Amino acid sequence: MSDSILSVESMEKTYVGGVHAVRGVSFEVHEGESLAIIGSSGSGKSTVLRCINRLIEPTKGIVRLKGEQINTPAANINDVRSRIGMVFQSFELFAHLRVMDNVTLGLRHVRRMGKEEATEVARQVLERVDMLDRVDAYPGNLSGGQKQRVAIARALAMKPEVMLFDEPTSALDPELIGSVLETIRGLAEEGMTMVVVTHEIGFARDVADRVLYMDEGLVAEEGPSSIIDNPKTSRMKEFLSSINE
Amino acid sequence: MAFGTTSRRGKEIPRGTGWFASFVLIALILVTGSSQAQEVRCGCEFNESGTESDLLTGEALNGEIWAFGTEGVAGKSLDGGLTWEFDNFGSLDWSSSDSGYGSIAIASSNGTVAILENIGEGGDDIGQDIPSIPNGVGINAIALTSASSIVTVGDNGEIWQYLQGSWVNRSIGVEEDLFSISFLDSENGLISGEGGIILATTDGGISWDYRDSPAETSESRIVGIDYFSTVRAYAITDEGHILKSSREGTVPVGFVWNIVEIEREYPPGGGDEFEPGGNTLDFEVTSVELLSQFKMILTGPNGYLALSKDGGNIVSQQMVPVSNVTVFNAVVMQDAFRGVVIGDSGLVIRTENAGEEEFVGFEVTDFNDFGQFVDYSKERLMDGLVATVKIVLFGIAMGFTIGVILSMLKTSPTSLKNVAQMNRFQILSMVVIPFWVVSQLIIGTIMRLKNPIDRPMSVLREKSAHIAASRPVNVFAIRLVGLALLVLGYLQITGTFEEVRSLNLDGWEHIYVPVGAPRAFASILLGIGLLILGVIFASCNGDFSIKEFDVGSTGKKLSLNPWGLRPLNALATVYTDFFRNTPLIVQFMFIHFGLELGRRVQEPGLDLFDFEYLKDNANFLTNIIVTYETDLSSPAYGHPIGGVLEDRAYISAIFALGLNSGAYQCETIRGAIAAIPSGQMEAGRSIGLNYMQTMKLVIMPQAVRICIPPLGNEMVNLVLNSSLAMVIGYAEITRQGKLIIATTFQIFWTWGMVMISYFVITWTLALILRYLEDKTRIPGLGISGGA
Repeated sequence: MSDSILSVESMEKTYVGGVHAVRGVSFEVHEGESLAIIGSSGSGKSTVLRCINRLIEPTKGIVRLKGEQINTPAANINDVRSRIGMVFQSFELFAHLRVMDNVTLGLRHVRRMGKEEATEVARQVLERVDMLDRVDAYPGNLSGGQKQRVAIARALAMKPEVMLFDEPTSALDPELIGSVLETIRGLAEEGMTMVVVTHEIGFARDVADRVLYMDEGLVAEEGPSSIIDNPKTSRMKEFLSSINE
Repeated sequence: MAFGTTSRRGKEIPRGTGWFASFVLIALILVTGSSQAQEVRCGCEFNESGTESDLLTGEALNGEIWAFGTEGVAGKSLDGGLTWEFDNFGSLDWSSSDSGYGSIAIASSNGTVAILENIGEGGDDIGQDIPSIPNGVGINAIALTSASSIVTVGDNGEIWQYLQGSWVNRSIGVEEDLFSISFLDSENGLISGEGGIILATTDGGISWDYRDSPAETSESRIVGIDYFSTVRAYAITDEGHILKSSREGTVPVGFVWNIVEIEREYPPGGGDEFEPGGNTLDFEVTSVELLSQFKMILTGPNGYLALSKDGGNIVSQQMVPVSNVTVFNAVVMQDAFRGVVIGDSGLVIRTENAGEEEFVGFEVTDFNDFGQFVDYSKERLMDGLVATVKIVLFGIAMGFTIGVILSMLKTSPTSLKNVAQMNRFQILSMVVIPFWVVSQLIIGTIMRLKNPIDRPMSVLREKSAHIAASRPVNVFAIRLVGLALLVLGYLQITGTFEEVRSLNLDGWEHIYVPVGAPRAFASILLGIGLLILGVIFASCNGDFSIKEFDVGSTGKKLSLNPWGLRPLNALATVYTDFFRNTPLIVQFMFIHFGLELGRRVQEPGLDLFDFEYLKDNANFLTNIIVTYETDLSSPAYGHPIGGVLEDRAYISAIFALGLNSGAYQCETIRGAIAAIPSGQMEAGRSIGLNYMQTMKLVIMPQAVRICIPPLGNEMVNLVLNSSLAMVIGYAEITRQGKLIIATTFQIFWTWGMVMISYFVITWTLALILRYLEDKTRIPGLGISGGA
C-alpha cells in the first residue's frame, strides 16, 4: 500500500452534556483507498467524520493529513478543510446560489481564482457528475439526486486530497440513489481517496476497499469489504441482519 | 382757448378693442424687446388712448382722469381710463401738473402755467389767465396750494409763488436744481432737488427751510417727493433710493429722513421670494405715487413699473420683464386701487388693483373652504413629508447597519477561550484589521489595485500560525493578563463609591446612580467587568473545559463554563436590552436635550467640514454632510443651508431613530440567521471559507432574504415612529400638522391629511419591499420561496 493520506489516532469526543460519542477510534486511509464506515444509528460514525475536518472539535486524539497533525490551533483550519472534500447527508447546497456559483464559490474565495478560470474548473467537475446541463438552476429546482451530485462537484472542484461522504444517499428517494452511488463509484474507480459513512451495505461491499464497523463509539470490526459477508462479531452480525430484513 | 366743450374728435372706442390693443402691445414688446423677453407679465390693462403724443403728466380729480403731454396734447377719461378723448391745449409741452380744490394746474418747462377749474362738474374751462413767470424762469414741478395759488420750482433753485394775480419770487438762495414739490394741505409742503436738497414750508410756501436728507443721498438727485399725510412722506432719487420721513413724537414729518432698506425679489426679475439687500432699486425711477401710508407705485423711464405695499421694503416689479421700449412718465390714481399709468407714445395702462400682477392683498383666507385650506396647508405638509423622508432614509440606513453588525456580534461564536488563546500576532492583526478594511475599500474596491496591507496581514497570519504551532498556550501570560485586569478593575472601582455616596441617596434611590454620577457608574460597571475577566484569566490552568461541581448532597450538579462567555454577544445584548426596554419618545428627548447629541455632532462636524475649505472643494458627497450658502449677496453666506449637519434636531432625530431601530433590526436579523440551517455554515466551512466569509457569502445573503418581511415591518415602524421627532422640535409631518391646526383650527382635515401623508410613505416603502422580496426570491429558500 502507498502512503497514508489520513490517519486518526485514538480519537475521542465528548459532547457538552457528557455524551461520550466516540471512545477512541483509530484508523488509516491510504492513497487511492476507499473506506466505508458502517454501523447503527448513534454509533458515532458521523461524529468521527466531522471530527476529521474539525466541524466538530475532537476532545482527544490526533488527526493527521499527509502526516501533518491538523487538530491543533497551529493548523490553518480553513486551508485544511479546503484540502478535505465533504459531502453531507442533506446536500447543504447554498440555496441562494445557482449551481455554477455553488461550485465556484470556494474556488473564487478560497483558491482565489478568477471568474473564468473558476468557471472552467467548475464545468469540468459538473461534467464529471453529469450536471453540466443544469448550471443555471437554483438548488431548489433540482431533485435530491441532482443536488447531491452538485454537492459532490462542489467538493471535487477544490481538488481535495480526501473526500468525506456523510451518508450521501440517506436523504434520497430509492430511485434517486442509483445515480449518486454511480458517481461515487466512478470516483473510487478513478482512485479518489475517500471515507464513506453509509447504510448502503451493498454499495460498501462493492465499492469500498475496506470496511469499518462502529458500535457505541468504538471500532468493533475492521477489514476488507469481504467482512460484510463474514462478520466475526455478533454485534455486526446482528446489525447486518437487521439491515437485510 | 376753449377745450372740452368743443372737442369731440376723440374716437369712440368699443370695449373689446382694449383687449386687442393690449395683445398687440404685448406682441410688440415681445418682438422689439430684448431677446430674453420671453413673456410680459403685467397686472395692468393696456388701453388705446387715441393719441400718439408722449403723455408726460396727469391728474385724477372728481372722477375724471386727465393726461397732458407734448405739443399741448390734453385728454380726459370719464370712465377710469378706459376711453379717452383728446384735444390740443395750446402747443406747449405740458410736463408737470397738480390738482386739488376742484382745479388742475398744468405747467410747461418754459414757465407757462394754466389752471383748469370746475373739474368734474361739466363745462370745463380754463379758469384763469396766468402770465408766464418773469425772466423766463422755468418750471420743473408745480403745486396748487389753493384754488388760485400756485407754487412752482425750477432749475437753479427757483421757487415762485403765484398769488392774487402775480408771481412772487420765493427763492431762498439755493443754487441746485429743484425737481419736485408736494403739498399736504395749503400750509405744509416739501420740495426736493439735486444735491440731496429737501426744503420744507409750514406757511403755504412763503418761506422755505432746509431739511436734512440722509448722508447717503447728499449727492443724489431727489427727483420725486410726495407729502402723503401728517405722519408720512416719501421721496425718491433717480438712483433708486427710497427716502421715508415719519412723524416722530412731536417732530413733524420732513425733519428726519431715512433710507428704506429694500428687500429684493428672488430670483431677480419677477420672483416670489424676497431677501434683504442694499438700499437702491436697480432701476432709474422718476416718479413716486403714494396710494396709502405704505403703498406706493414707482415708475421709471425704462419701462420700470413697480409696487410696494410696505413703504418700499419690498418693491415688486409689476411689469416683467422691464422693457426699455415702454417709457412711463406718471402714475395717476383715482384711489388706492384704480388709476392709470401714462407714458410716451400715448401709452395708457389701466389698473383696478393698484397695478398688482396678482391679487394678493390682505384677504382673510377662509379655512372652512377645503380648497383654500389645502392651498394653505399643502406646502407645510410637503415640507414635513420631505423632512420625514430625510430622517427615515438615514434612520433606516443607520438602523440596518447597526442591526447587521449587532446580529453578527450576537451570533459570533468567539468566546473567552478564543480570546485567551490569542497570541501577540493575532492581537496585532486586530489592530491592523481596521486599516486593512479602510484601505481595501479605497485601494481595493475603488482603485482596483492590490491592497498594500495585504502583505503585512498575511505575514501576521503566518507568524501567528507558526507561534501557535511551536508553543502551547502560554498559561503564565494569560494569568499575567488576568492579574493586570484585576488591578485595572480595582483601580476603576476604587474611589468611585465615594462619589456615589456623595449623592446622598437612600435605599432604592440608588437605581438613579447612572444619571447622578454617570462617570462613576460607568467606572464601576467597567471595573466589575474587568474584575470578573481578571478572576477568570488569573485562574487559568490551561484547561478551558466546562467545570462541574456537586451542589451539597442533593446530587445536583452545578456546571460553570466561564470560558464559554461570549464577550461580543454580551456587548450586543447590553445594547439591545437598553434600547428595547426604554420608550422611544424618552430616547428622543434624552438624546437631543439630555446628551445634546445633535450639538455634539454638529459643532465638531462643522469644524471638520468648515466653510473656508468646502467653499471651493464641495462635491456631492460633502453636500450630503453639509452644504453652505456660497452666494455672496445672500445674508446666509457662509452658513449651512443643507446636509446632515445643518440642523441639530435633524441629527438627533436620525440618531434616535437609527439607534433604536438598530436594536430591533438586530433581533430580526438574528432570527433570520438562526433560521438558516446549521448545515449551511458547515458546508461553507467545509470548502475552506472562514467564518466571516461564510457569514458574508452564504449565511447573510440567505438571512437577509428571509428577513425582508419582518424587516419591512421594522422599517414601516421606523417611519411611524419618526412622528415622535416632533417632541424635539424637528419639523416633520406630525409637527407640521400641529402647526397647521394652530393656524386653521381644522382638526379633522389636518390629521386626516397627515395620516394620508404617512400612508403614502409607508405604503410606498411596503411596495418597494414587496417588490424586493419578489425580486430576491430564490426557489427552495424559506417557506415563502416556494420551489
